[in-house]
Amino acid sequence: MEIIKTENLDKVYEDNGIPVQALKNVNFSVRKGDFTVLAGPSGSGKTTLLNLIGALDSPTAGKIFFEENDISKKKPRELSSLRLSKLGFIFQAYNLIPVLTAIENIEFAMMLTGISEKERRQRALDVMEELGIRELADKRPNEMSGGQQQRVAVARAIVNNPMVILADEPTANLDSKTGAVLLDIMERMNKEKNITFVFSSHDPQVIERGKRLVMLHDGMIESEKEQ
Amino acid sequence: MLLRLAWRNIWRNQRRSLIILGSIVVGMAIIVFLDALVVAFLNQTFENQIGSHTAHIQINREGFKDNKTVQNYLPATETVEALVRNNPEIAHYSRRIITFGLLNSAYNSSGISFVGVNPEDEQYVTTIKQYIVEGRYFRGDANEIVMSRRTAETLQVGLGDRIVGMASTVDGDIGSEMFRVVGLYQTVSSGFDRMHAYIPLATAQHMLGLGQNVSQFALIASDLDNVPHLRSTLQESLGDKYEVLSYAEIMPLLMTMIDMSQQSMVFIYVIIGIAMIFGIINALLMSIFERIREFGVIMSIGMKNSRIFIMIMFEAVFLGIISIVGGAVIGGGITLQLQNSGMNLAAFSEGLASWGIGAVLYPELSIAVIFRAMFVILCTCLLASIWPAVKAIRLKPVEAMRYV
Repeated sequence: MEIIKTENLDKVYEDNGIPVQALKNVNFSVRKGDFTVLAGPSGSGKTTLLNLIGALDSPTAGKIFFEENDISKKKPRELSSLRLSKLGFIFQAYNLIPVLTAIENIEFAMMLTGISEKERRQRALDVMEELGIRELADKRPNEMSGGQQQRVAVARAIVNNPMVILADEPTANLDSKTGAVLLDIMERMNKEKNITFVFSSHDPQVIERGKRLVMLHDGMIESEKEQ
Repeated sequence: MLLRLAWRNIWRNQRRSLIILGSIVVGMAIIVFLDALVVAFLNQTFENQIGSHTAHIQINREGFKDNKTVQNYLPATETVEALVRNNPEIAHYSRRIITFGLLNSAYNSSGISFVGVNPEDEQYVTTIKQYIVEGRYFRGDANEIVMSRRTAETLQVGLGDRIVGMASTVDGDIGSEMFRVVGLYQTVSSGFDRMHAYIPLATAQHMLGLGQNVSQFALIASDLDNVPHLRSTLQESLGDKYEVLSYAEIMPLLMTMIDMSQQSMVFIYVIIGIAMIFGIINALLMSIFERIREFGVIMSIGMKNSRIFIMIMFEAVFLGIISIVGGAVIGGGITLQLQNSGMNLAAFSEGLASWGIGAVLYPELSIAVIFRAMFVILCTCLLASIWPAVKAIRLKPVEAMRYV
């Protein structure tokens, strides 16, 4: 079952007044339970595609369907609601809120959906337990290592039970060992909970672990294969 | 959680927050102090005017206000007295005779407004008795006169000296009496002092040939707020042969001055607000520029613009609340101290005296003063947060996350 589907997607950026074609006629889909990696060299359009299917940006041309609804022309407010309820994000630089503790960062995502304080505390603790970061609950981001912060970011992404988690270069700032641990966690989430993951990465160990590999080059899909 | 986040956000850069807090605290303290000072100035001017002569309500013959001649005595003193004697809305009243005349000493003469009063009644209506600086108030002798020190200096007389008072009688003749100076008063109003001398009511009636008639009833209402209603009721009962005037009608200039002073305080609030607002805007904008990536993240997580807007407003409100507490403590403390000790403005005493204000001013701190200052600070902070908040919600998640 396709959760996300793009049709003839184009994205053109303006860079100092010069148009730059970031994506060209991209047809791509994400199915339930996918563990897909978007790979390719820098400037190939991985992050642009991830941003578009994550409702963070709008296409220049073409359509994006989320659960068969065209979201390419939706208003920012509607896209915000979609991101909150259906999508989870993991970023290269972790991007935790520095003034909140680990557990508060995880709760923050739930707060936006209106979950009661008691329930979100319990759910945050459960997720932290599951990811083995329970002891980090009261630590602020500057008191945690990169790997720890990224695990908290994963917890924040999955705690609202999104349909898809989009991870932009999640291991880029981590050493290979820590990156492997993080990938183990995400793989487990995918297998045990059937959470759908889409990565953009050029990290070989991420590419190796992807069940589906989509290679991008110059804004176009060059190849696609199941692994 | 949004509140917690906003609270912690303002402490991200402690030095910057403390500097901006310091400026708002100073603004709040200045507003509290200035407001308390203006309130004191207006109240003391008002009370001095009411207390020295005006009272809350005056009942005269129609036209007396513009033509204070002895012939304009009240048509029926008993009717008026019957109306005011047992009226629960009236705390005190005093019958008066008011006429212009001349005081002559062996050395000099001075034009004066004679005020004939019954001292037992007048002492509850006006405060002249409290302003006696030499000698005493009336003791009941028929030929006593209480005048201002300033008039005594003009006439070159002192306590115990004899002077002659002259005024036109009700029949148009010249009436005169010999008086002995028993008391000298000095109010805070130099203009008032120059004009008024007090003599016993019966002596005034005799000197002016008025019989039992009087020129005026001066009333003190039980409740100041009730004055307009009381004035209307009395005017209705007495009819158009009488003019019943409230203090606002008697002292239109003072009431205009009070109104203008209150309006000018609003202007001062705005000036102080403007002085603070740019600092607050700058601090909030800096704080937002430092967090652009973070705004991108919270937007991508799904935080709606309305919540981001509210969060920034909370940050401004927190700055305001902390400043209000600090400003109320500092401004309130200074004001309270001066409220007890008084502010000695002797250097400006002449100018103040022309406004009917003493050389020592006592600022009046009240809950209303604090609330007004709070309102100004909170409004300023909220207004200051609008631009930074709009700036934040106009960010696009993707661009914000790329921001370096």
